[in-house]
Amino acid sequence: MALMQIHDPAAAPRPIGIDLGTTNSLVAYVPLIGGATTIVDCDGDALVPSVVHYPSEGPTIVGKAAVGYLKEYPEDTIASVKRFMGRGADDAETRRLGTYRFAADSGPVVQFAVAGSRTVTPIEVSAEILRALKHTAEDEIGEIGGVVITVPAYFDDAQRQATKDAARVAGLQVLRLLNEPTAAALAYGLDSKQNGTFAVYDLGGGTFDITILVLDNGVFQVRSTGGDSQLGGDDMDRALAEKLLPQLGVTDARAATPGQIRAALMAARSIKHGLTDADTVEAEVELPGQASVHVRVTRTEFAELIKPLVERTGLVCRRALRDAGLRPDELDGVILVGGSTRVVAVREYVEQLFGRAPLGSIDPDQVVALGAAVHADLLAGEGDRPDVLLLDVLPLSLGVEAMGGVAEKILPRNTPIPASAAQVFTTYADNQTGFELHVLQGERELASDCRSLARFTLRGIPPLPAGMARLEVRFDVDADGLLKVSARELTTGIAQQIEVKPSYGLRDEDIERMLLDAYDHAETDVATRALQEERTEAERICVATEKALSVDAALLEPGEGAAIRTALAAVREAVRGEVANVIHVRIEELDHISKPFAGRRMDRSIARAIAGRAVNELELETAHARGIESHLGSEGETMKD
Amino acid sequence: MDPFATLGFERRYHLDKTLLDRRYRELQQALHPDKHASAPASERALTLSKAIEVNEAYRVLRDDQKRGEALLVLLGRQLTDQTADPELLMEMMELREALSDARAAADPARVARLAAEVTEKATATSRQLSEVFARMEGEVGTPQARQLTDAQTLLSRLRYYRRFQDEVAQFEDQALA
Repeated sequence: MALMQIHDPAAAPRPIGIDLGTTNSLVAYVPLIGGATTIVDCDGDALVPSVVHYPSEGPTIVGKAAVGYLKEYPEDTIASVKRFMGRGADDAETRRLGTYRFAADSGPVVQFAVAGSRTVTPIEVSAEILRALKHTAEDEIGEIGGVVITVPAYFDDAQRQATKDAARVAGLQVLRLLNEPTAAALAYGLDSKQNGTFAVYDLGGGTFDITILVLDNGVFQVRSTGGDSQLGGDDMDRALAEKLLPQLGVTDARAATPGQIRAALMAARSIKHGLTDADTVEAEVELPGQASVHVRVTRTEFAELIKPLVERTGLVCRRALRDAGLRPDELDGVILVGGSTRVVAVREYVEQLFGRAPLGSIDPDQVVALGAAVHADLLAGEGDRPDVLLLDVLPLSLGVEAMGGVAEKILPRNTPIPASAAQVFTTYADNQTGFELHVLQGERELASDCRSLARFTLRGIPPLPAGMARLEVRFDVDADGLLKVSARELTTGIAQQIEVKPSYGLRDEDIERMLLDAYDHAETDVATRALQEERTEAERICVATEKALSVDAALLEPGEGAAIRTALAAVREAVRGEVANVIHVRIEELDHISKPFAGRRMDRSIARAIAGRAVNELELETAHARGIESHLGSEGETMKD
Repeated sequence: MDPFATLGFERRYHLDKTLLDRRYRELQQALHPDKHASAPASERALTLSKAIEVNEAYRVLRDDQKRGEALLVLLGRQLTDQTADPELLMEMMELREALSDARAAADPARVARLAAEVTEKATATSRQLSEVFARMEGEVGTPQARQLTDAQTLLSRLRYYRRFQDEVAQFEDQALA
């Protein structure tokens, strides 16, 4: 980045993309001139270690500065918090080799007990990281408009909701949660304009994703996705640390102190990094309070140690290919993403699995953040944007618990999103007025083996003989992959709307409290923020409406254009005022009056899509012949326009 | 909902899948929420519900079995989960027993052999189904009741095979966990 960015204080807020990673996090944006670029801190570093230190007194420390506390304060310094997102206090992750104290009475959400007799949830820890990234971005580009945050494609509803909650706590407006492999594909595919079918193999610090997608002239259509949200470089470190601990004089890894475990994990990680370039790594490892020990690890030994982990990714890949209805040789390329794909054994395994050398021309650490920035710019940037569309899928089946504890699928995995589905249930007892619903996510046959998202009781069913009442339960999944459930009693038409919050989720009150805590009475208050948000929203809607009026003037009924313009002027007038609520009401009025016009515009664009665009189709055919290899020449880490 | 109408296709089993994919993408270019991110609320709601309908129609039309079933329903047939075909029931009972034995023995090779056997049967059934529909769609006028019944029988056969394949997938997924 040779160009100096000069900010204009009156400039519109700029959208950003954030890769909230297990090990490192990054923020990127698309400048007015040039392609997406990551934002670096004052030392020129783009990677912010996802580490948060809670000192017994004073402010929380995030990133590089927090790394220094890992060894000395293993319990008060949280690393890899992403693995705990959306997890319950009883989750298996809390029992793996690690250094944390978990709050005994933490309710449904897992909580870390840290210095100063405080407890923090993974959402709050993640919010600290997001806030640090936000500040870095503000220093570079001024006011932040909105954010696209990436999540592993295989994240379930609870994990997605937790990520969104963390963003809210950090005071960020989330434009969209974007799946990491899709973000990577976007960064790869956009400037190279290749078409074809690709696999994105994404092995990060804590999560593994495989996504099979089709690139077709700016459309990125995900065919299938799979993964393991508890598999990554951390597990390689643990495997090596468990092997090292006995050599270091700790015979029982389970009985090791947090300090010993942290030291062993850090040594394992640095040996793992060394083995990327060397066949053998020798190191002096020192556990707290003990003399240092000389250890030697070869690449072959390490490969053998992590073999079960790597092979687990293979099973997931084969399933994703099967779901997409493809054989490995039908792929046009394999894209590697995530720091753990630097491990030699992983690269070799991927090459063997797909029968071709994988592509990795964009830095695997940066590619996801760059893709997120591009998407944020597409959603909220100004001016002409490239014609790009991401079509994603639901990663894990959604369903309910049926009689006998069996999981009944309502929306199967790999359903294109947004999606909705309805299922009708009936009562099993006479005069039954309540009906319990247990919402599940996962692929297993038994409800108890699936992820429990929510349990609730529908009330107010009219007393009828068994089997007479008919309850329609509707699942709606939005483009973020988040679920909403609603229910209706069909014989009487009694409707109940239920917002499903995952069992492990936070209530809105909790989020408000965290938000207020975070402001520390220093930053802007909530009312000012609300006004700002309404103004931004109003501005966007005015621009969109004006554009529609000029482009589709032919679709206006007599007098309709004038009425819409009057409503538009009223919105602009309200924006000049200081009352958020007035802006809100004016927006709604404009919305109401322009609704029939919007309907006509939609119908016409549907008719056009069905009629097809003959010229376009010819271009498609010729473009298909080119492969992704044409992109390999460019070595830049940022994207070109 | 008529998925054929939603995506602008004639009500036929045989359709051009390349065109289907392209049509789907064109429609989502116009309807997807990302394309209306800054639009007023009612336009967002309108296009969202249409985008969902297009997604669902695409899911049905792209899948041979679901497309066949949707077509039969549109032609006035009621589809049920049960089959009256005793031969099929016997065949499935034997296959399922073999599968549960292989699963109990945790024998992936045996499971894979059974899966291959069923896949072969499913492929043959698909081919037959395609032929029945081809004859039906090659003739002028309304399809004969007999042809519809044939298609229905083949579809229920396919459904049983697919459920078997799902069970195999379950076994493989459990190997992951």
